[in-house]
Amino acid sequence: MKELAIKAKNVHKTYGNLTAVNNLSFDVPRGICFGFLGPNGAGKTTMMKMLFGKAERDSVQGGEVSVFGYDPKESALEIKFFTGIVSQEDNLDQELSVIQNLMIYSKFYALPAKQARIFIQNVLAFMELSDKKDAPIRQLSGGMKRRLLIARALINNPKLLILDEPTTGLDPQVRHMIWDKLRDLKKQGVTILLTTHYMEEAFQICDDLIIMNKGEKVMQGPPAYLIDKHIETYVLELLHTGDKTCDAKDAVRTEFMNNRMLLYADDFEIIKQISDQFKAGDFILRQSNLEDVFLKITGRKLHE
Amino acid sequence: MNSARTMADLGPVRPPTLYQRIFSVWLRHVRVYTRHLISNGFPPFVEPLIFLAGIGLGLGSYVGLIDGKTYIMFLASGIIVPPAMFTATFECTFGTFIRLEFDKVYDGMISASLTVKDMFIGEILFAGTKGFFFSCAVLTVIAGFGLVESGMAVFTPFIGFITGLMFAALALFVTSFVKNINHFNFFFTGVVTPMFFFSGIVFPLDNLPEFARWIAALFPLMHAVRLVRAFCFNSFDPGLFFNLAYMIIFIALFGSMAIKRLKKRIVN
Repeated sequence: MKELAIKAKNVHKTYGNLTAVNNLSFDVPRGICFGFLGPNGAGKTTMMKMLFGKAERDSVQGGEVSVFGYDPKESALEIKFFTGIVSQEDNLDQELSVIQNLMIYSKFYALPAKQARIFIQNVLAFMELSDKKDAPIRQLSGGMKRRLLIARALINNPKLLILDEPTTGLDPQVRHMIWDKLRDLKKQGVTILLTTHYMEEAFQICDDLIIMNKGEKVMQGPPAYLIDKHIETYVLELLHTGDKTCDAKDAVRTEFMNNRMLLYADDFEIIKQISDQFKAGDFILRQSNLEDVFLKITGRKLHE
Repeated sequence: MNSARTMADLGPVRPPTLYQRIFSVWLRHVRVYTRHLISNGFPPFVEPLIFLAGIGLGLGSYVGLIDGKTYIMFLASGIIVPPAMFTATFECTFGTFIRLEFDKVYDGMISASLTVKDMFIGEILFAGTKGFFFSCAVLTVIAGFGLVESGMAVFTPFIGFITGLMFAALALFVTSFVKNINHFNFFFTGVVTPMFFFSGIVFPLDNLPEFARWIAALFPLMHAVRLVRAFCFNSFDPGLFFNLAYMIIFIALFGSMAIKRLKKRIVN
């Protein structure tokens, strides 16, 4: 068996009456990108926080967690020493410039100043921020701030990188750039853990992922495998059908969402025929994707 | 905990030592503070001038000698430590609250190899450092006016340092309860302002009714003022050991309670 970066077994976390994480188990081999997918409140962030001691699993029957052999309950400091953490919120030091942010952060790892300057130059270049090094944080765009947060998380040359929704709210250029960088890091042997609710993101960069709902693991596997196993190959979306429904054949699975009707089938010909009854613009015929799996599993209703 | 344990490809895992971690936090605050050195460093030199002119000169001419000292001498020695109290209190109430709730500075810091304890010990020490600096500023000003009679006064900034630690610990403890930034008003109006007036700074406590003297003795600032006066006038008595002990116990007690409570707020 490949050596594990993370091993979680029967992890429980409750806040009062609320169960945030319920009996969650998973293994993350070293050097892969592992994703947590789930609607808001599914327990993704809580699980991440429990890996480096920002949250503590239940003291009674909380399960077991090991990060490179360290238990975050006792050795959070050691774990954080070789881990880079990018949180959901921007928590840069607003009072300092880009370079000062990184210099101070390097002190938190007790890096000697000389070495820190080289590392900082490297991480800024890697995240394409070199020309912003003297800018105050206030002047950075959302995308630059996120890139800087990632640069900051790389300053200790981490073996494990934890990112909580790394590309939420960013434009497509920045998003693709960040994906490329994460792929680069993976090639360098960094184990990456991320949460997201962008299916595209999970599909693009995760080697393995968990879909969570209400604190529980609903399914796990590589993205392509999940699509293959859990959903039909093609989808026909009928827009504004209103009361008019379509006569679906037996070979087709149907779902309703508001006034849309979705027909799923493995056989392209069947749904192609159905789509012929409608005029262009009233339907979308496409391949199924991770989002379809996700919605099928976690339900189409709002979770909030 | 075996921090030097090695893993297959992990290399040695040796997080910074406690001293390095606390120092790094302290340094963060110093960096932020010294970015605006002029606007941050100016007030401590000007405030004593306002005080000496406004109260010392104005009121002083109506007041006779206090313990054999002119009123302005009495006042000058009293105002060495209050700025340490105010700066530490502001730093660890509004400052801490903003870092905690608005800027999320602690969330960023705690993602590095620091513990909650490191962060707040570093912060208390920084507040102490500010207290030291503010007391130095006042001392410089009053010395410039010839209001310092004993060379022993050079030690008073160290009492400013302890005062800073003490009020940082108290302020962090208060902050650990506060959910809304406006609630600090209660603390300032109800505790900090009366403390300033009833700690023997602008008038001696000896003539107060007994119950008021007992209340004053509970105020941490009174103990700092007593120590400072002893150094300023080079007149020491064994009771000062009690004042010093009070301050040290106060720091340890409120500091540890504050850290415990703030940890619950940061780690969930």
